[in-house]
Amino acid sequence: MDFLLDDLDADGALREAGENAGISRATFLGGTIAGAVAAFAIAPTAEAAGNNDVAVLNFALVLEYMQSSFYTEAERSKALRGKAEDAAKRVGAVERAHVKAFQDLLGRKAIKRPMFNFRGTTEAQRPFLKTAVAFEDLAVAAYKGQAPRLRAKPVLAAAVAIHSVEARHAAWMRYLFGVQPAVNAFDDASPKAEVQRVVGATGFIVTRPRTTSRRRPRYTG
Amino acid sequence: MPVQVPPEDATRAEVFRRAIVSGGAIVGGAVAWGLPQLTAAASKEQDARVLNLVLALEYTEEAFYAEALKRGGLRRALRDYAEIVLEHEKAHVAFLKQALGAAAEPAPRFDFGDKTQDGEAFAAAALTLEDLAVATYNGQAVNLTPASLKAAARIVSVEGRHAAWIRSIVGDVPATDATDPAVKEDETRQKLSDFGWKAG
Repeated sequence: MDFLLDDLDADGALREAGENAGISRATFLGGTIAGAVAAFAIAPTAEAAGNNDVAVLNFALVLEYMQSSFYTEAERSKALRGKAEDAAKRVGAVERAHVKAFQDLLGRKAIKRPMFNFRGTTEAQRPFLKTAVAFEDLAVAAYKGQAPRLRAKPVLAAAVAIHSVEARHAAWMRYLFGVQPAVNAFDDASPKAEVQRVVGATGFIVTRPRTTSRRRPRYTG
Repeated sequence: MPVQVPPEDATRAEVFRRAIVSGGAIVGGAVAWGLPQLTAAASKEQDARVLNLVLALEYTEEAFYAEALKRGGLRRALRDYAEIVLEHEKAHVAFLKQALGAAAEPAPRFDFGDKTQDGEAFAAAALTLEDLAVATYNGQAVNLTPASLKAAARIVSVEGRHAAWIRSIVGDVPATDATDPAVKEDETRQKLSDFGWKAG
């Protein structure tokens, strides 16, 4: 679970990325994200391509913020039991690692974490699992839609390495919820607008703190 | 359970085949997708090579699940899993064969040894094979044209779901790492050979 970014040797990674101008051996051997960070840092690509990838990565970062906040809040609520509790802990750690990776990748260009209100779904077993299934299936579809738009190869390699992990999470949460983990032979991509519509419809992202609620405040962030 | 290739997929496969095999008008659409200089290594010839590699994987999965269902004495959750996943792998084989057209390599023979003899051996082999599928697709992503990448991405996540599903059934942690590994063609070919792939 330890992320390679923590002990990233920036100079070494940069040199390697430069030498290979693509996917280095280190990238294949689990340094996927580190390789992407290096490639991004040297930004050898056209400004337009860089901006394109920044937009895609920031879009992914919002989804990772949402997932990591969701699992972290669920873990802290102490309302989950058994395998769901264990899954929230493990998946939460991975989603937090994804957030950190994208933040490091984007540096100053990383957008800030929005505020969330998960409306009670982190405080009971069944609503938690149902929401987790929805989040993970959505993440799979979103990455699938965005990955082919990435232009820097190491960034693409990182995105696909995360995409399949989200698919594993989706199957895991589906199994715990009691629905078939893999329904179709092909998973469909969701375009950005569709993902944004679905996220917007949840009401989980709140634009300002609610000061008029009669309910006790939820965890945020 | 919608497990056959739906008409929509058949159409996509056909579009895809024309794009990669005969280099038809569809290629224009693929080029419009991304900056050509950054996907310089990708080409329709390379797409065909990569698709034959993943077809080899899908052939192996299809044959493995079919044999396990015949001789493995699988019961309950394992049988349900194998039956559903077999249909997925059949659909993947059909899709890739259609995409490759005449360039598709034929199915080889297999000798899975004792991997299909009982539920325990089957489960251990299945999760190895599904992990290999994910790592292979992930390793090839950067070699594909955008059009082919979009198609491959629709399959790889299903393989990832299978890998997590079989782990759930046997009580393993379904996903431990933040990123999935990627393997290169040589390693995939070697591991398929170790798994039971026999030429011709």
